Amino acid sequence: MTTPEAAAPGSESGSGARAVEIRDVSKWFGEVTALDDVSLEIRRGEFFSLLGPSGCGKTTLLRMIGGFEGPSVGEILIDGEDTAGAPPYARSTNMIFQHLALFPHMSVFENVAFGLEMKRLDRSAIAERVERALDLVRLTGFDQRRIDQLSGGQKQRVAMARALINDPSVLLLDEPLGALDLQLRLRMQEELRRLHRSLGNTFIFVTHDQGEAMAMSDRIAVMDQGRILQVGTPEEIYEFPKTRFVADFVGHTNVFDGRVETVEPNGECLVACEGVAFRCRTPAGGLGDGEAVSIAVRYENIDIAVRGDPGAGPGTGCAATVTEKIYMGGVFRFETRTDAGAILTADVPTAGEARRIAEGERVHLAWRPTDVSVLLE
Amino acid sequence: MAGPSTASRGAVAGEKRAAPRPRRPYGAYRTALWIYAGLFYAFLYGPLLMIVFLSFNQSEIVGFPFTGFTTHWYGVVFESPALVKALGNSLGVGILAAGIATSLALALAMGFRHPFRGKTIVLYLILVPIIIPGIIGGIVLLIFFGYSGVRSSLYTTVLVAHVNWVLPFAFLTLYPRLHGFDRALEEAAMDLGAPPWKIFTRIVFPIVRPGVLATLLFSFSLSFDEFIRTIFVTGFDRTIPVQFWGLIVDELAPQLPAMAVLIIVISIFSSLIGFVFMGRAARRAATWSGSARRRPERAFATR
Repeated sequence: MTTPEAAAPGSESGSGARAVEIRDVSKWFGEVTALDDVSLEIRRGEFFSLLGPSGCGKTTLLRMIGGFEGPSVGEILIDGEDTAGAPPYARSTNMIFQHLALFPHMSVFENVAFGLEMKRLDRSAIAERVERALDLVRLTGFDQRRIDQLSGGQKQRVAMARALINDPSVLLLDEPLGALDLQLRLRMQEELRRLHRSLGNTFIFVTHDQGEAMAMSDRIAVMDQGRILQVGTPEEIYEFPKTRFVADFVGHTNVFDGRVETVEPNGECLVACEGVAFRCRTPAGGLGDGEAVSIAVRYENIDIAVRGDPGAGPGTGCAATVTEKIYMGGVFRFETRTDAGAILTADVPTAGEARRIAEGERVHLAWRPTDVSVLLE
Repeated sequence: MAGPSTASRGAVAGEKRAAPRPRRPYGAYRTALWIYAGLFYAFLYGPLLMIVFLSFNQSEIVGFPFTGFTTHWYGVVFESPALVKALGNSLGVGILAAGIATSLALALAMGFRHPFRGKTIVLYLILVPIIIPGIIGGIVLLIFFGYSGVRSSLYTTVLVAHVNWVLPFAFLTLYPRLHGFDRALEEAAMDLGAPPWKIFTRIVFPIVRPGVLATLLFSFSLSFDEFIRTIFVTGFDRTIPVQFWGLIVDELAPQLPAMAVLIIVISIFSSLIGFVFMGRAARRAATWSGSARRRPERAFATR
């Protein structure tokens, strides 16, 4: 990861705009490295997701922000203040736990009121704020229910109300939707987005589901093996993955290793991979002739036709044979093999010519140079 | 083989004649098992029932023949000042020993959820009184108190002996309740602003309370019945079992069966309530932690 941007003059870079700053943090559990020199800034009011597979360190990072773990080295600032040694009960963060951790021996009201009670508010103020919180999560009238009388979605809402009642500066969400079925999960995603919009607190959301992260976040950090690989908006992450891991993890992507053949003065270059040439935009750092690189093209950015466009330049298409055709609902997925043996997958809308193309047929694949990403590693 | 036979039996419940009754598998084995179980319970409960029976015998001599029904011997037990005092002593020591042992066990069980240096050794030390034969334990305590100059009395030496004896059982009863406790609940409370002692009083204790009550009752029951260690350190204050022993040795007193029945009733009663609480604690744990068991990422991250 790059170091935190130097305090450049600009509207967004004052320390007031940052809810959380993570500076050079590493964490070891015995021999295992959970986090490896991570730096990150999360802006105030942002819906920020930590995305990665199991064991990538995203939950550890979240728990460190919440104060449940301490960093082995490095520092974590919340609202500009170093949090070293501050226990969870002394932080302006609240967490929604993976399995919610609602108090089973308390009613809905008592669960939601717990945070206020710890702040020693008087009874009438507590009652009023709990009622408002339950209204906010659309659980009006559920205050006397026991936790085991609630459905999965209702439990989610209680957990949200309980975590939000203290109006935390940062709300931490540890995959709280993981255990829900798809329909309910989509509804709760919507609910979380609505809460975020109406409250304006900073949300940090941990998930291994790239679709969930895409749908909900202002920005995403993709993590793997204790490191942050890329930070950006969902579009940046999706359209311009910087590393092979990001390209693979987010969406469906053809990834090839190859060598730079020619770098052209118009800002494009040709990369030869497994017998196929790809024209792509030269990345900012520039490339040298013969340099080894990887390139990525998303499935849906490859088009398929019976006849190639004779006017297309080199590196924007190739001939191939369809080895498999799968109906995916709305799109066909074509697995193809080029004459040189490279395997390319294309997702093509069912509306066009694709409907008539059968397995075993000779086809022409095409892509645009702007859809080809050059990966850094 | 067993599957179809039970299924057909269920299906033809209304029309028994229609299908011939299928032969039970393992017939001889089942019979043997029944005989074994019958003998087992006869030997286990026969003597107990006999004692109950004898406690209502009019005869001045303990034993048969049964000369007539009476509740006289229960009256004798409660009219004897020595016995009433012994009963009071046993109840007092039992309640105190149960309270102290359960509190210590709770503190230990809380501590044992965290890793610490020498954990295994501490565990063995707690469990030693179970392994050491009672008579040795009694002698060791006697020597210990003798050297340290502590005079034998009910609420010094006897109480210490009882706590020492009861603690490992209290720990073994309570530890599973706390070990299975979902740590995320404590973290959630901490996250919402609860300092450690509030977490204990508002979250941990209310949830494990049935387990604590069960432990109290089991502990009391163990203390109430303790004899071997007690007799070494008892001094002049006798507990019920010690008094009982005296009555057997000095005179085969006719009220012995009645006393025995009273002891049995108190022990069984406290243990039974203990089991009720234990069942409640287990059910709580089962219904409350159903979803909290699996958290693969956490498990990975914190190793």
